[in-house]
Amino acid sequence: MAINEQVLRDIIESVLKEMSDTPDSGAASNAVATSAAAQADSVKLTPIGDAQAGTAADEVLIGLAPAFADSQIDTIINIPHDKVLKEIIAGIEEEGLKARVIKVYRSSDVAVCGHDAADLSGSGVAIGLQSKGTCLIHQKDLPQLSNLELFSQAPLIDLDTYRAIGKNAAKYAKGESPTPVPVRNDQMARPAYQARAALLHIKETQHVEKGKKPVEMKVSFQ
Amino acid sequence: MIIAGIDIGNASTETALARYTNGTPQFLASGIVPTTGMKGTRQNIHGIFASLKQALTQAGLTVEEVDLIRINEAAPVIGDVAMETITETIITESTMIGHNPSTPGGLGTGVGTTVHMRNIDKIAPHESVIVIIPRDIDFETSSRIINESLARGVYVNGAIVQRDDGVLINNRLNKKIPIVDEVSLIDKVPLGMWAAIEVAAPGNVVEQLSNPYGIATVFDLSSEETKQIVPISRALIGNRSAVVIKTPAGDVKERKIPAGKITIHGKHKNAVINIDDGADVVMEAIRSVAPVEDVEGEAGTNAGGMLERVRQTMANLTDSKPNKIKIQDLLAVDTFVPQNVKGGVAEEFSMENAVGIAAMVRADKLQMDQIARELEKEVGVKVEVGGVEADMAIRGALTTPGSNKPLAIIDMGAGSTDAAIVSGSGEIHSIHLAGAGNMVTLLIASELGFDELAFPEDIKKYPLAKVETLFNIRHEDGTVEFYDKPLDASTFAKVVILTPNGMVPIPGNHSMERIRAVRREAKTKVFVTNAIRSLERVSPTGNVRDIQFVTLVGGSALDFEIPQLVTDALAQFSIVAGRANIRATEGPRNAVATGLVLAYGEEA
Repeated sequence: MAINEQVLRDIIESVLKEMSDTPDSGAASNAVATSAAAQADSVKLTPIGDAQAGTAADEVLIGLAPAFADSQIDTIINIPHDKVLKEIIAGIEEEGLKARVIKVYRSSDVAVCGHDAADLSGSGVAIGLQSKGTCLIHQKDLPQLSNLELFSQAPLIDLDTYRAIGKNAAKYAKGESPTPVPVRNDQMARPAYQARAALLHIKETQHVEKGKKPVEMKVSFQ
Repeated sequence: MIIAGIDIGNASTETALARYTNGTPQFLASGIVPTTGMKGTRQNIHGIFASLKQALTQAGLTVEEVDLIRINEAAPVIGDVAMETITETIITESTMIGHNPSTPGGLGTGVGTTVHMRNIDKIAPHESVIVIIPRDIDFETSSRIINESLARGVYVNGAIVQRDDGVLINNRLNKKIPIVDEVSLIDKVPLGMWAAIEVAAPGNVVEQLSNPYGIATVFDLSSEETKQIVPISRALIGNRSAVVIKTPAGDVKERKIPAGKITIHGKHKNAVINIDDGADVVMEAIRSVAPVEDVEGEAGTNAGGMLERVRQTMANLTDSKPNKIKIQDLLAVDTFVPQNVKGGVAEEFSMENAVGIAAMVRADKLQMDQIARELEKEVGVKVEVGGVEADMAIRGALTTPGSNKPLAIIDMGAGSTDAAIVSGSGEIHSIHLAGAGNMVTLLIASELGFDELAFPEDIKKYPLAKVETLFNIRHEDGTVEFYDKPLDASTFAKVVILTPNGMVPIPGNHSMERIRAVRREAKTKVFVTNAIRSLERVSPTGNVRDIQFVTLVGGSALDFEIPQLVTDALAQFSIVAGRANIRATEGPRNAVATGLVLAYGEEA
């Protein structure tokens, strides 16, 4: 990788500078933020205690990263978190299984979120989901850095893909062998979104609480 | 003196190395490498050299120490395979949706007029409707509207949904209705028509709509009309969900595609047959005109094209003119190919009939001498072309412990099946038939819907297993094997092929049982058919029962189940059949190479 830390810092700084310099774009981003906030209100995550290991074979866990639907409310391409969560849960439900949502606090890494959730999943299958939209399907017997399916390019994941991810996770839980969800690939996604992705990830990492156990969340859509 | 016998086969080049002392051979080593280039062409020399080298290294000898190399007069036959679909299913006016979404919603049978979701508020109470829900209406909204309509007194008796929302909508309804989802071309569903929907419980299949009288009951059909809807109910057999829509001129047809005629020229008479009559008719014609001298397809038809393609491939390989290539045997096999249903609104597939054809061609004999001369120049050892391949194979096969004359051998290779018989007095008679390993691969590929041949080839060769967890797999026969370390993530929940290089996950949704059934059926259709066919031809009386001992040689005899399938089938004719064990050490391999060495002793 030719981009070192200094270059990255410069880019981020210049982006931030630009954002604060132009009042127009500032106002626009504020408007986006408020409208997104209104939408994010429609999903409510209520903590209901430490997440317990499940015994039901028909559940798929969704392990959310610390900032999800909290300090961040939409993905890197501004898909509101409530819609993302709703599609994933719908995908699981369509296959006849149940979704259980937990929030992982000890790391913002998507693999950790997914694997911690898989460990607690009655079926052994879980989905790890970062606030910026990156996600994966994990299985408890796999090494943490492995996975069943990985969707690393968050800017290319749309709602239909989230639905398909939920469906596939449920199919793995049923012991079926689904065709992997087709992922789009775009070489330009990386340069176009790298700075933004880094920012969002740093922001999410600020909410990491070392040593805090995963918390089970009651999900309600308004 | 040191003699090397080298056999160039379609798939592998084998060497037998022996030392002759006082006219008795003592075998030193064997070699086997993949054949380079097409059998009988100059490219073979590299393979010959590699195979010889392998045997020499084993024996601790050098090329200079070899006194004589004998290569086989390669039975100059090569085979090729082709496939042609002969039926197609056509639905007119979107009369039915017979696809099988994995997760339909609800349960039961519902009848009503088809209505678009947007117009449901215009429906008066106490009317029976089936709602059509396009992609842009999400499950929350559509289930709410259906609930409201039900509350209003409209009988919503079923739903046809474009997205995969069947279960989601069903979970949110106050009344259970059958819902068929994943209907991709939902715009084609006719509106305002009388329709019936049926969804069966998980593990069950539709009963009402797969029964002609069931459809007649639903739509109040006359006996004449009931006759016409038989293809519809037939097409729905085995589905978990179905929709039938009554339109003025709707119909489902299974149409035969005119595949064209082929003419089989026999020595004494000719036969003309339609390929679309199926494999049995073709095989019967081949039997009736035998021996076959050439086969021609009708120009401008699929059958003609298929045979010309085979001819052209052969012509290119043997460097001769297509009109000089004579097709001397055909093996036709009935099979199924998944094809898109024409006019279907849910991208339904239907298993259409197809005919697979393997053709066998006799090539130019002279090339072997050329190879011999060139090889001689290159290695500086005397090279001679030994006897006919079948004779050599018999000599080799007779080294199998427990075998004796009279003996028949069946050499099951990749391109052709060869058979030879030696009588008690040592007289040898041999024939070559089309169809062998490559044909099996083609059949597996077509029935499972693979476009390329790498996966089918592996499916043919190795057993299957299902990865149940990352720590255990279940083999084909039901036994479970455990692992200490987790298996590769890519194999999770997949059906895998247990190749020597590890597990290869099979893409797609086929169950292990289905793949196994397809594989065994393909092998039976080709190898068992050919075993019986070849023995019929070489038997002095024309009757298979008059042969007592049969040994199986060649690469396909190494397969983990083909010998059992053949042994089992031939046991019914009270024939002792089994895999050869050349020189008691080589298994079914090396028969010809061994025979080449032994023949030298007999000639000397």
